[in-house]
Amino acid sequence: MHTAGDLFVIELGAVVLVLAIVARLARRVGLPALPLYLMVGLALGDGGLVELPASEEFIEVGAEIGVILMLLMLGLEFSAHELIDNVRRSTLAGIVDIALNFPPGFVAGLLLGFDPIVAVLLGGVTYISSSGIVAKLVADLDRIGNHETSVILSVLVIEDLAMVLYLPIVSGVLFGGSLLSTTVTVIVSLLVVIAVLAAAYFFGDRLSAMALSQSSEALLLTLLGGTLLFAGIAGRLNLSTAVGAFVVGVALSGDIVSHARGLLLPLRNLFAAVFFVFFGLQVDLDLVPDVAVAAVVIAAVTIATKFATGWIAASRASIGKPGRVRTGAALIAHGEFSIVIAELGISRESDLGALAATYVIILTLVGAVFYQFSDSLTLRVPTRHHRSRWQRTSRLVQGVRRRR
Amino acid sequence: MGKATETDLPGVGVRFELETNAGRCVGVVVHQTGRRDLVVYDERDVDRACESVVLTEDEGHTLGELLGGNPVLEHLDDAVHRLEDLVISWITIDSKSPLAGLTLAEAELRAKTGAGVVALVTDSGSIPIPGGADRLEPGGTAVVVGVPAAVRAATKLLNESG
Repeated sequence: MHTAGDLFVIELGAVVLVLAIVARLARRVGLPALPLYLMVGLALGDGGLVELPASEEFIEVGAEIGVILMLLMLGLEFSAHELIDNVRRSTLAGIVDIALNFPPGFVAGLLLGFDPIVAVLLGGVTYISSSGIVAKLVADLDRIGNHETSVILSVLVIEDLAMVLYLPIVSGVLFGGSLLSTTVTVIVSLLVVIAVLAAAYFFGDRLSAMALSQSSEALLLTLLGGTLLFAGIAGRLNLSTAVGAFVVGVALSGDIVSHARGLLLPLRNLFAAVFFVFFGLQVDLDLVPDVAVAAVVIAAVTIATKFATGWIAASRASIGKPGRVRTGAALIAHGEFSIVIAELGISRESDLGALAATYVIILTLVGAVFYQFSDSLTLRVPTRHHRSRWQRTSRLVQGVRRRR
Repeated sequence: MGKATETDLPGVGVRFELETNAGRCVGVVVHQTGRRDLVVYDERDVDRACESVVLTEDEGHTLGELLGGNPVLEHLDDAVHRLEDLVISWITIDSKSPLAGLTLAEAELRAKTGAGVVALVTDSGSIPIPGGADRLEPGGTAVVVGVPAAVRAATKLLNESG
């Protein structure tokens, strides 16, 4: 007996299996899987090779959960204290990053005749590197101990924080009404974000202790339920669900974090992949050739500007030339956040989806390859050794620390 | 004592590193998860970790003990713990010391230096909170408490080589 349910399960199973094959392939050649997920999404659905009538609805809901879980896990990586310390230390790198990488997308958007607000979205797409992809590349290539890694991570953290302010602003403008009501919405939402972050800073420990449970089942349900509820409310208030989830992640600290990571990681992996497929599904494949030239040009410009950002940030931290090349190369990969931003404007401007997908695929592949081979480009250049070269970002440890 | 520097790695943990007298750089990345990476930096590109060995927390402790020698002996030799202005020191009683072999009452260490003896350790065992009749046996160890200057004076009296 055939039911609609069977068809749904078959479709979903087939899509997930295709993703599995793609993920294995990516692993084999040492590339991030994200651009390949996007390609799968592009190839499926409207205008693609195969339509997914039964499972598209589920994929849409799954995509929403995917964004929330991605941002929750990202927030878990940091504590509020760490974020604030980091902003204090790397303000300049953060400013250079915005000044160099937001304008390319914004200007390109205006030139392409998009609405100003859609151009602002495209600016966001080109501004933000992928913390997820870059952090994974750094770890996979055994470069966590490298000196430039602290610089790379600092820039990524500032970008993530910038998103916490940027997303509520653009959602307010996109979904607001008149100029006055939009301004009020934006100001209110920013105040709410700051209030919630402050609450996370002061009461995060207590909240985490409350949520902690011996039973991993109870903990998973608490985390998932609490985050979905909070993110949903944040979305209702035009703060964006992504920001809501990120703030929950930041607020949680202490013992709960490592448990939460272990429990949420498999769910995150599944639903994040679903999100990228969903984004690709929404993009009409026929639009891609029209925007391909624009995507390549914007990609070429931001490869240069991101590289320059990394170079400048690393040289300020007294990193030698090979390290500066690695920093610049690491920051090129764009990913989840660019897609989350583009998703906001896809209903306003259908070209934005095709453009962002093509752009992210190009930058992620170029960035990953460039970062992997950055050492072979510079290995011949010896670096001089300065004695106190880490002073700017490092503290001197007094004596030897003893545990207990 | 070698000077180490400490750098935050947001979302990962902390990196410690040390430049040796010979000019090489080594470091340890302490992850939030407890994992430790032992890192050796390239001589030509000092920012690059050319070797990175992943250790669990326990393996890290074991390696630390191997590198630091016997931790107990280390305590007896030179470990000085500073608590605000108070110093506790383990002083070996030299046989040439003028106070060697005297009882605590005869030695009058507290009157002479301002430092008090809170324990005596000899081959035959240890005496916590010794009394005036307990002896400063040559070769034994006196655990002494006081302000830094007092402990320094006591060290000089008890251990002429120190």
